Amino acid sequence: MKELPAKSLDDEIAALRLDIQPPRNLWPGIAGRLHRSSSRTRPMALAAAAALAGACVAGTISWAVLQGRAARPPAQASVRAAPQAAARTADFDEPSTPRYVAARDSLEVSFRERLALLDPATRARIEASLAVIRHAHEDIRKALAADPASPVLEQLWQSTWHDELDLYERVVRSTQPTVTRT
Amino acid sequence: MQLPDAMDAPAEPSGLIAAAVHGDISAFEQLYRQFSPRVYALCLRLTGQREAAEDCTQESFVAAWRALAGFERRSRFSTWLHRIAVHAVLARRRGLRVRYEVEEPASGLPDMADPAGGAPALDLERAIARLPEGARHVLVLVGIYGFSHSEAAESLGIAEGTCKAQLHRARGLLCAALGLEEA
Repeated sequence: MKELPAKSLDDEIAALRLDIQPPRNLWPGIAGRLHRSSSRTRPMALAAAAALAGACVAGTISWAVLQGRAARPPAQASVRAAPQAAARTADFDEPSTPRYVAARDSLEVSFRERLALLDPATRARIEASLAVIRHAHEDIRKALAADPASPVLEQLWQSTWHDELDLYERVVRSTQPTVTRT
Repeated sequence: MQLPDAMDAPAEPSGLIAAAVHGDISAFEQLYRQFSPRVYALCLRLTGQREAAEDCTQESFVAAWRALAGFERRSRFSTWLHRIAVHAVLARRRGLRVRYEVEEPASGLPDMADPAGGAPALDLERAIARLPEGARHVLVLVGIYGFSHSEAAESLGIAEGTCKAQLHRARGLLCAALGLEEA
């Protein structure tokens, strides 16, 4: 047995480094969840964070509904196309405050990084889902211009960018390192 | 045991805390930048596993954000945050059984030179990581992060006497592991 010459074991323990830098930036994962948490977010960010069932399913449903709307006679849509339509659609737009945009961009960066780690088949499915969501998003924007009073379109409009954030979040979350559950 | 002052952190960032309480995420991000190394180190030493420590660190800050409105400044922000981190680790432990013995227990711990020439700090870190969970938790909280026995006992949900006994056990096991004579 040996004795510590100058410092006791307690001193050695107390002298251990208190700070250890995390090996990767954990903030994007935290920020994404802050925007999804309840009462501390701004109203629109709160709406963005509302969890919707299945991004792909919702996106596909949106797309399918819009296909039905697209079949409507053009004259019916043009009658409702008024100057205030553009302003109306702008009301539905995604929050654009710097804080929200930064957090959203950060989440998208994490999503892109994690996506690159997935196998090609999974990646292709996710990219396809994202394309469906974005396509639906544009279609709804156009439809809202023609029918700004439609609550269904309003809900669909909100759901598409919810879906996009939800898809980002789910990919990031599902690719987090996990510990074996027993 | 001479305890370190775990609250020897820089001055309380009152402005950032106040802004975060009012919902300013960028202020909260600055708090994360300032406090995450200590929270991560605490979680890493409590769990003994890097991935679990990352997860618990994230959980801690998400929980802190949600609870900020109730932060009454009766303690320092770091103290409050450390308690949340301990809770996150214990909550995770209740749901998951981590295979500490299978994976390298000291993974993620940096190489650290020992400035005083005593037992190498890394050997000590590894010996701590290999302690039984109960003894390790108490040693980390009381010995390294300066919790009082009552604070550690409350955080860990154990009796204060148990806390003292676990610390004594941890010291004995460490001495044995490092080939030292107990004082």
